[in-house]
Amino acid sequence: MDDRKIQIVIDSFLPMVKAALQYTITLAVISFVLGLILAVLVALVRVWKIPVLNQIAIFYVWVIRGTPLLVQLFIIFFGLPSIGIELDPFPAAIIAFTLNMGAYNSEIVRAAIQSIANGQWEAAYSLGMTRGQALRRIILPQATRVSVPPLSNSFISLVKDTSLAYTITVVELFQVAKQITATTYEPLLLYSEAAVIYLIICTVLNALQNVMEKRLSRFSTQ
Amino acid sequence: MIQIQNLHKSFGSLEVLKGIDLSLEKGKVLVIIGPSGSGKTTLLRCLNLLETPNEGTLRLGNTTVEFGNRRKASKQQTLDLRQSTGMVFQSYNLFPHKTALENVMEAQIVVQKRSKEEARKRSIELLAKVGLSGKEDVYPHQLSGGQQQRVGIARALATDPQVMLFDEPTSALDPELVGEVLKVMKQLAAEGMTMVVVTHEMKFAAEAADTVVLMDDGKILEQGPPQQVLQNPSSERASQFLNLLTEKEV
Repeated sequence: MDDRKIQIVIDSFLPMVKAALQYTITLAVISFVLGLILAVLVALVRVWKIPVLNQIAIFYVWVIRGTPLLVQLFIIFFGLPSIGIELDPFPAAIIAFTLNMGAYNSEIVRAAIQSIANGQWEAAYSLGMTRGQALRRIILPQATRVSVPPLSNSFISLVKDTSLAYTITVVELFQVAKQITATTYEPLLLYSEAAVIYLIICTVLNALQNVMEKRLSRFSTQ
Repeated sequence: MIQIQNLHKSFGSLEVLKGIDLSLEKGKVLVIIGPSGSGKTTLLRCLNLLETPNEGTLRLGNTTVEFGNRRKASKQQTLDLRQSTGMVFQSYNLFPHKTALENVMEAQIVVQKRSKEEARKRSIELLAKVGLSGKEDVYPHQLSGGQQQRVGIARALATDPQVMLFDEPTSALDPELVGEVLKVMKQLAAEGMTMVVVTHEMKFAAEAADTVVLMDDGKILEQGPPQQVLQNPSSERASQFLNLLTEKEV
């Protein structure tokens, strides 16, 4: 590699990391947290088969899982202005990713809640707990342990999927790589550099997942 | 303490309880025996409304609930009934993410709103009572079945119930562990706890029960003091069942 290329890699590193911190990671974290709250609500509606809401939840999960994320992103950012709803790129991306996470993660949370033996609910009820108390104190802590691996998976996917936000002009990591490529004509170099940064982020997340699993497994026999 | 009138329960088209009348005074021990499928566990689970009866009247302590014709227990009645009873399950159903001590503390803090310190003190006493001093900080999976079940008894006692319900508490245990659980139950009975026990342990029934109820096919077949029901049953069907159990023990 000649000096010019090395210089390009060095010069672009900071802007890319800055974009990663400012947009990629922020976008992923906010969407994941909001999406998880939505997911728990949807999961509970489905577990408890709450009338009407249950049908809405099933419809929502069906639509989101059955359509591409990119299409959802375009409908929210480019489509909604036609009916008078104009959103800035960043909030539009947050909404799209949150809705997406909410649908996928609701299935993870639902499966986790349903994997907890019915006897746990009964034991909690027999002690005089309400449904909410049983859920909070007994079921969710156990369901959390079950759902950490699939939710981590989901979060890592999301971090990478935020690159789609470049299509609606969010200046995230991939957008920066693309812009620098446009001026330097070094696509292999810059896209590889972007790939390495994504890889580093995901490696850190993987390590976090391992720590969490260890902490949560202290009471498990398996 | 407990009064049940004409209690019916169906699961779909299957009628499991076909009109049960039963009463139990404070401080007495009622043992329910009968072949599997006779409805004894369902009857027990109706007492704390883990199952909702379709028809009949249930009075437990100060709570009276009528069922049938769209009448059912209110939320408050359900919580009242459950707080005045403690249940011990066949498969223990301890909370696996909590230590033995935390299992016993949980309802005191969440339901009874006792302070942490108060709950801890009471829980340590209760674990000592069931012979598990020193096991406070152990998780359920680190305990033997007999020890887990004794934690289950301590957990059920923690909310100071007026009645203890036992659902085949020794059926999932290895034979050598049955004794330690029965010992705790007998001690409770001796202390004057009101108890309803579904079991196959005939020796326990003979020694600890004030009343034995023999159920068959959703009805009460025999009811009376243990000597009478176990040794001198009035119906042919009851003798058959009791003989079967005696043969098994030989």
